[in-house]
Amino acid sequence: MIWRDLRFAGVLGINSRNSSYTLRWNRRALYPHVDDKLVTKQLCVAAGIPIPRLLAVARTHFELRELRGILETLDSFVLKPARGALGNGIVVVLERQGERWLRSGGRLLGIEDLLYHAAGVISGLYALAGQPDVAMVEERLELHPDLHRVSFEGVPDCRVIVFRGIPVMSMIRLPTHRSAGRANLHQGAIGAGIDLGSGRTVHAILHDAPVRLHPDTEEPVVGVQVPQFDRILEIAVRATDQSGLGYLGADIVVDARYGPVVLELNARPGLSIQAANRAGLVPRLDAVNAQWRPGLGVAERVALGRAIALANPPCEARS
Amino acid sequence: MTRPAAVTGGVLLVLGLAVFLWKAVGLGMPVLPTDPLGLWQVELEINARGSGGRGSLRAALPSSDLSQTIFDERSVSDGLLFSIRSAGGQRTGVWSGTFSRTHQVLYTFRVQLAQTTVLLPKGAGQPPPPALRRDFGGPTAEFPTGAGEILARLDWLSLPPAEEAAARVAALYSFVADEVATEPNAGDDVLLTLSQREGSALGKARLLVTMLRAAGFPSRLASGLQLRDGLAPVQRVWAEAWLDGAWVPMSPSDAFFATRPQDLLLLREGGDVLVEATGVEAELHRFHALRERLRPEELATLMVPTNPLLAKVSLYRLPVPTQGALRILLVLPIGVLVTALYRNVIGIQTFGTFLPVLIALALRGTTLGRGLTMIAFVIVLGVIGRLALERLRLLLVPRLAILLCVVVLTVTGLALTGRALVERDLYAGVLFPMVILTGLIERFSIAMAEVGLREALLKAANSTLIAVTVYPLFISETLQHVMFTYPELVISIMGLLVWIGGYTGYRISDLRRFRTFAGAASGAR
Repeated sequence: MIWRDLRFAGVLGINSRNSSYTLRWNRRALYPHVDDKLVTKQLCVAAGIPIPRLLAVARTHFELRELRGILETLDSFVLKPARGALGNGIVVVLERQGERWLRSGGRLLGIEDLLYHAAGVISGLYALAGQPDVAMVEERLELHPDLHRVSFEGVPDCRVIVFRGIPVMSMIRLPTHRSAGRANLHQGAIGAGIDLGSGRTVHAILHDAPVRLHPDTEEPVVGVQVPQFDRILEIAVRATDQSGLGYLGADIVVDARYGPVVLELNARPGLSIQAANRAGLVPRLDAVNAQWRPGLGVAERVALGRAIALANPPCEARS
Repeated sequence: MTRPAAVTGGVLLVLGLAVFLWKAVGLGMPVLPTDPLGLWQVELEINARGSGGRGSLRAALPSSDLSQTIFDERSVSDGLLFSIRSAGGQRTGVWSGTFSRTHQVLYTFRVQLAQTTVLLPKGAGQPPPPALRRDFGGPTAEFPTGAGEILARLDWLSLPPAEEAAARVAALYSFVADEVATEPNAGDDVLLTLSQREGSALGKARLLVTMLRAAGFPSRLASGLQLRDGLAPVQRVWAEAWLDGAWVPMSPSDAFFATRPQDLLLLREGGDVLVEATGVEAELHRFHALRERLRPEELATLMVPTNPLLAKVSLYRLPVPTQGALRILLVLPIGVLVTALYRNVIGIQTFGTFLPVLIALALRGTTLGRGLTMIAFVIVLGVIGRLALERLRLLLVPRLAILLCVVVLTVTGLALTGRALVERDLYAGVLFPMVILTGLIERFSIAMAEVGLREALLKAANSTLIAVTVYPLFISETLQHVMFTYPELVISIMGLLVWIGGYTGYRISDLRRFRTFAGAASGAR
């Protein structure tokens, strides 16, 4: 039964994603463009795409001394691995409290805790394949006031699936207490599908099940207007162009001060975005393959993606 | 699935099955076990412990004769040098080398047993050759043929005349079999057995040999195993007398005369010791026997196929140790096929791609219960280790190394307190599983750091689940037999794997994950 439902809705399964999209459209040699956040940053800076400011980088255990000096001058920042997977190993520091820092989620961390975490990052503990990694410190992004009511202890980000340069689906990932401020669905964040035309959320899931209210703020998560959504789609498309990958998930945060910035790109974007939208990717991806033309500008491609999304709307909710 | 993938998979599948069918139907090779009578697989297992000195193990090996056909011999030498020596028709297996630990030697063979009766001569029969007389006629410390009691007893028995050789032997046999009681705990000395009128099986056999020799018949001890289905074989000793060109078997304790029972395997002629060891501190051996499920002529079609091409590539003719390795190796593709099904069709997350298969292989060497206990132990240790070591802020590799040291110490402690862990083969029971568990502890620790305890436990449970599913396949004799006989089936498995690899449909996990779409198809109408 559910099998037929999924086929009817055109839900993309993981086997199909791997064989028909990531294997087919993402050249292995280009993976470092997105797997290494430092490379992604360089690509974006070169193209004038806004990104969070890089404050420090530690490539070896020796450079941790230098990192100590820089961290001690900072009040809030994000410490993360350059090649982390699934949002693992990211420490968000909210503010300084005397000699220690308040981490999102409520724990207080000393300088030794932070350097230990950075050492784990350098050892490759959080890297995709366990290889030695680089610890990077970024400016912490600030929650946009429009999204205050649907976020808890963290900053939401927008995931846009871009196929052959055309945005096809989007969702906003809302942190919860359960996800400890992180915007990863499998860690307990809410995924809310966004109508590409209006930038409003149309459906939302928490742990794969539909949800209407944010469990912490008790505000509705459906019908929320995402601020500067046009700009989000635009920089998602431009960042994808820089990466050279054909099937990609762009993660974009709307910062209170700078507006949308590219947080990271993902060559193997998850499939839960379909559940968040209650819409299958297959018809939209097929439409892209049918309507794709070389030489389309960024604005034209965004418009095409919106038209395709409009033609392939979410499924009716079950009554 | 793309057309090329579907076609490639289909071609491989059909190719493997075609060769299989050609061999099974066209050449009449057996597919499934046929349960013949009197066919056994026998294994001698010797465990020997030493502390660095050179030594050797010697075991009497069976030879083929009228009553038994030996084939398909193989040996696992566990780091020792194995050779077979032949002297006077008796084969002896010798394992020599440096004994620095507990070595486990396995010697396995198949045997077709038949009940045979030796026809006894009507008259005196041909006289024994001088060599036989010299080797098996004279007095020794073991067989005191010249002792007064023996000679007196022979006189007292008033045997039939020399022209009736068979009757003379029968009379001696009847005396020892009927007039001397069999008492397992009694001594095995000849003269004591005679004077007490009771003796062990060995004592009675020795007494019979002594009296036969004294009466002019070359004779000797013979020993071997009584094979029992589902039970451990029992060591037996009996006597053999040379009569008219043949050795006539007779057992004064198991009541057979001139007939060798169908369940009796002859291992050694001329003695009662089956396994000897020198230069080791401790030696323990036992025999295992299993009724064979395939007839010897079926085994023969596999070992010497009629098709000249197949004869060149018959796995049954490879060196014995290679065969043993291939029997296990050829089941592995089935294990990975199951893993591929679990991961790509069902969508279960596991540690590594083939770690579950390796765990199943390790379980093969430990037994299921003990293996699962070890896995549970490693996981508990991983959790405790993480909690305890977290405060020390250690880097990843040294932290994992410390956990491994604790595993080693614990195994050492278990080995000291109870012998359960090292009772069987140290390598199969401990070392190989340790290698696999090392992989598990590493993956588990990293998963705990990356995705948290819950996800890590889930992955560990999934990996174990797949291992436990694959394990019965790995220990299945039937499956091993089929894959070893028809290795071309691996090509068919590759075909199935191409199909699985080309499967772009939903995984079972997708169905669960996208359950929010339930009713999408009907809702639209």
